[in-house]
This record gives sequence, structure tokens and C-alpha cells, in this order.
Amino acid sequence: MSDRAGCPPPTLSVIVPFYNEEENIERMHAALVRALEPLGVSFEMVFVDDGSRDSTAARGEVIARADSRVRLVKFRRNYGQTAAMAAGIEHARGETLITMDGDLQNDPADIELFLAKIAEGYDMVVGWRFNRQDKLVTRKIPSRVANWLIGRVTGIRIQDNGCSLKAFRATLIKHIPLYSEMHRFIPAMASIAGPRLAEIKVRHHARQYGRSKYGLSRVYKVLLDLMVIKTVASFTARPLLWFSLMCTPLVVIGAAAFVAGLVALGQGRPAIPLTGTGVILMMAAMVLLASGTLAELVYKLGDIRPEDFARLTKKSMVDPRPPARVLSRGGVR
Amino acid sequence: MTSAPARLSVLIPVGSRQSPAERLYAEYKAGLELTGLPFEVIFVLDGPQPDYERALLELARRGEPVVVVALTRYFGEATALMVGFEQASGSHILTLPAYLQIEGTEIPALVAALGQADLAVAVREPRASSWFQSLRRRGFHALLEWVTGLDFRDLGCNARALKRKVLEEIRLYGDQQRFLPVLAERQGFRVREVAARQSKEDINRERYRARSYTRGLLDLFNVFFLVRFTKKPLRFFGMIGVGVFTIGLLELAYLVADRMLFSTPLADRPALLLAALMIVLGVQIFALGLLGELIIFTHGGGAKDYQVERIIHYAEDGGDPEIARPATLATDLT
Repeated sequence: MSDRAGCPPPTLSVIVPFYNEEENIERMHAALVRALEPLGVSFEMVFVDDGSRDSTAARGEVIARADSRVRLVKFRRNYGQTAAMAAGIEHARGETLITMDGDLQNDPADIELFLAKIAEGYDMVVGWRFNRQDKLVTRKIPSRVANWLIGRVTGIRIQDNGCSLKAFRATLIKHIPLYSEMHRFIPAMASIAGPRLAEIKVRHHARQYGRSKYGLSRVYKVLLDLMVIKTVASFTARPLLWFSLMCTPLVVIGAAAFVAGLVALGQGRPAIPLTGTGVILMMAAMVLLASGTLAELVYKLGDIRPEDFARLTKKSMVDPRPPARVLSRGGVR
Repeated sequence: MTSAPARLSVLIPVGSRQSPAERLYAEYKAGLELTGLPFEVIFVLDGPQPDYERALLELARRGEPVVVVALTRYFGEATALMVGFEQASGSHILTLPAYLQIEGTEIPALVAALGQADLAVAVREPRASSWFQSLRRRGFHALLEWVTGLDFRDLGCNARALKRKVLEEIRLYGDQQRFLPVLAERQGFRVREVAARQSKEDINRERYRARSYTRGLLDLFNVFFLVRFTKKPLRFFGMIGVGVFTIGLLELAYLVADRMLFSTPLADRPALLLAALMIVLGVQIFALGLLGELIIFTHGGGAKDYQVERIIHYAEDGGDPEIARPATLATDLT
């Protein structure tokens, strides 16, 4: 896509996905303009219409045609929040990217705080809705458990992974793969690059218009996604190690059962169930190890290289060489 | 969009079910002429069919706009369609069966539907068939709706009109041609169903073999996986793996409790083997899912998760060149 002449890339891009938010899109635009204009930085707003079925897209189009700072990326159909974020990030041109929800629950006035943190040298700033205005049982408690679990598993201990209001250095986030439903795990995913991470408290408003699109059903998905993140973020470069760790308990229990079976045999009792169990468990460990080897092969033939993530942070940028481009298929390796 | 004048390319894969070339062509030609658009007809002979080929070449010799592609062996309808598409030069594609399913006079309605859609699939209506066939068909489509959430009524009808870009984006293989509307909808294209009168010939020809049932079901499973889990294999494998693992774990817990409370020696329980097997199987299925996730993470970089319809911004320069605007019948089909 070509940039228009006489229109240099802005300093700041604000990315807002909208899905069926017809009551909110105009208010969001007005609130953003009100919050951003006094900051004195050049900015753009990237609105992503995630295949809304109501008039969100039409209203967004009116805004985008009237305001040169707004671009509307319109999806063919609904692809989900992660895809909307990823598209917004792809089409944003600023040096600093801010993502936020389109439902007015985040306060655009907080953006100033995020910019200050980025200016301090942080690569990524995440919001913490410390005063969250949502239902306790279906939203807040599961979220607290999930955040604790995510912190335990990935080692990225932050209070609130689910808050959409985040700021990133563009070089960092544009190179972090986002797919499936990873928007809840952006900090964990970005940890591949080892960013300096800050967390700041943000205001959170109760939803005024429109309806919430989440429920409790996502718990199971979050758990599985967490497993995926652990696999790809912590062990990308050495999947065999990860698979070996998984098979350790199998080997230990299997060996124990096998020995117990032999003891039983020595006492003249039936030994098949215990020795058999031991053999099955140890066999399984071998199959897991084989999977791990296969994973090594997959990784070796893939496009992802740890060095691609090595130069994305501010600290690593003292070296004048530009960060390597990730996700390029083919080419020189 | 300043497009070249619309032109129709008709793809006809010729498999084992076929109407005589002469009559088939005459019927379709009558319908195609009603659209008022220039057209070409591409026959793809799926496997050697010398007699049919001779008849088609005879048509071509008479100056009819017929192209014949002969495949050396049977490749299946989806491949035949893709091969034919490589030869197609038209802006709009029409796929038609090699035996009459709908009347040729319904073709204009099918093509006209592209004014508001990217793909139009014919629905044979009213449909004459035995109660058993219609039950079978309803069952299939109900299953499909349950799996994909899309409500189609007649995917068995091979008469479809589509814009060129649909087949440029979707590569069919195996027996997927039947699910083209599902895959297109999945890619974010607008799909419509168009009622069309069933041909009299088709009414007498309904026949299905057991083999096509099983293949249909396998294809459905294939589509199910493609549509739901391609980008998240762990959701699929994880579900099965965790389920099997849990059953094994419960059985094991029962055995251990039995041992602790009632001192039934574990060594005497062959059921222990089953429990261990289930636990192990669960872990392995789960590991397969993780492997799938690794493949996507390391190889999925080029494939995007989403399709952008267009980008709208300040209207000084008339917008992006890559924008695809929804076409109206007037601009798109003249």
C-alpha cells in the first residue's frame, strides 16, 4: 500500500477493533480526538470493522471519509478480536501503537500515560483495570484466576492480561505472530523478544451501550491456548526439551510400576498388570520423545528463528543494524 | 472498478455420469445465449473417454467456442475443475455438471445473481425424488449445518456461478467441489442460493452408492477440520486427548482407591492396563495437537488469518487501488 504524498507516517497509531458497536464508534472517535489532539504528537486512528452486522461499518466509513487521520480496515466477515488487532497492527504506520477496545470501557485519556512510559524506554506497556467495572462471577473472578495461571505458566506476571489498552513499540509488535485467539496473551507472546514491560493502572468504565461479547465458555479455550503459548513462546527453539519434560513423569512411574511387578513376580503373585503398565508407560514416553524429535524437525524447517526476535526491543536497538524481518518465506537464510 | 467486459467461462468436468455431448451442449448453449454475454465452454475429460472426446472435437470443428482438456487418468471432480480453471479466461466462471441437473434456461438467473454475490449455487426446486433420497439429503445438510453453522439446501447440485477471484483464492482438492460454497463463505465471500428448475433427465437419475456415502462423510469431516480447527489444532486434539486422559485417570483413581480401602492388590487387576493405556493415549493425542500448533507457529507466517475487504480513508485520492468494491449488476456484468 502506498502512503499518500505529503503525509508522513504519524508518531502514534491508535488501533481500535469494532464488532457490532454502532452506538459506540462515533463516540469513540470523538473521545479519541479529544484525548489525542492536546498531546501535540501526530497521530492516526486505525479502526478495524470485524465484519459487523449492524451499521458500524457504514458509520465508520463516514468518519474515515471525513477525517484524514482515520483509516477503516473492513473485514469481509467476522474473524475475531485477535485477527482485528493483527490487521490493525499491520496497517498502522506509527512508531508507537496503542490498542484499545471499541466499547468505551477503556478511557482514551489514559493514552498520555502510556506514551510517557514508552518515552521512558519501555517496549511495551499494558493496562491494569484495577477498578474493573464488570460482573464479578462471570468476568472478574475467572479473569483473576486466568491471570494468576498465565503468570505462573509463562513467567510474565502481570495483573491483567485481558485489558485491551496496551502500548507497543511498533518494531516489536509488528514482528510478533498473532493468530487464533492470542490477543489475551500478547504480553506472553511478546516475551519471545524479551521486551521491557511496564504495567500501569487505567480507568475502566462500565459498558454504556451495546452488549458484552464474552462469557464463561472461554475458560477451556484459555487453558488450551496457554499450553500453546508455553510450547511456542518458551520452547520454540528447543521443542525436544519440552517434550522430554512431559515424558519424565511417564518414565518415572513406568519404571516404578515395572519394578513393583518384578517384586510381585518374586513373591509368586501375578505380575502382568504391573509390569505391563510399566512397559506401556515407558513406551509412551518413547513415542513422546519421538514427537519431540519430529517437533525439532518442524522447527528446523520453519520460518521462525530466535535471532529474528533478538533486535526488536529498544535496548537492542543501540546497534544500528535494523531488526531482521520475521515471517518472510523463502529468501536467504 | 473499470473492468474489462464480462465474459463467461463454463467449466464442465466430465466424469462417469454424463449426458450425450451434443444434447448437453445444445441445452447449455441455449441458456448461455440468453445471458447475452460472450462465453467459452471448457470440457475437462476426467480420464480417457475417446467417444466423448470425438463428439466434443466435432463441436469445436463446427466453430463452437469449445475447449477440450483431456486428463490421462481419473483425478476427481475437484482437480478437473481446477485444471479447467487454469484454461479459463472469463471474468465470471460457471461450473456445470456433465449431466443435466437443471434446465439450461435457468442459467441467466444464476449468472444474474452474481450482481449481489460472489458465488451463486443452484438449488433444484421443486425437487422430485423418493422419500429416502430426500431424507438422506436432509440428513446430510442438517449435519453440515451442525458442523459449519451454514444452512445450504442443495450442495449436490453442481451448477454454480462465481466470480474469478473465488477460485483464485480457493484451491480445491479431493472431493471438495461439493463444499465450494462452504469454503467460499468461510473466506468471506458472499454466497447465495438460487432456485432453479430441475431437469427432467435428472429426476430419473438419482442414484447413490454406499461408497459415495462414506466418502461424503469423510469429506464432511475434512471440511469440519478445515473450517473449525486449521489455525488451532490443539482445540481439536486437546479436546479428544483430555477426554481420553480423564477417563483413564478416573479408572486409575478407582483402582487405587480399591487398593487402599479394600486391599485388592493392584497386581491382580488387568483393568490397570486399560487405565494406563487411556492415560498414555490421552497424553499422546495432546502431544500431537501441540505438534500441530508448532507447525502452524513456524510455518503459518505467510498465511493470514483474515481477509480485508477494503480499506477506507480520507477520500482525496479516490482510495486504494487494491480496493475491491461491491459490484452492482450494471457495472459488473456488462
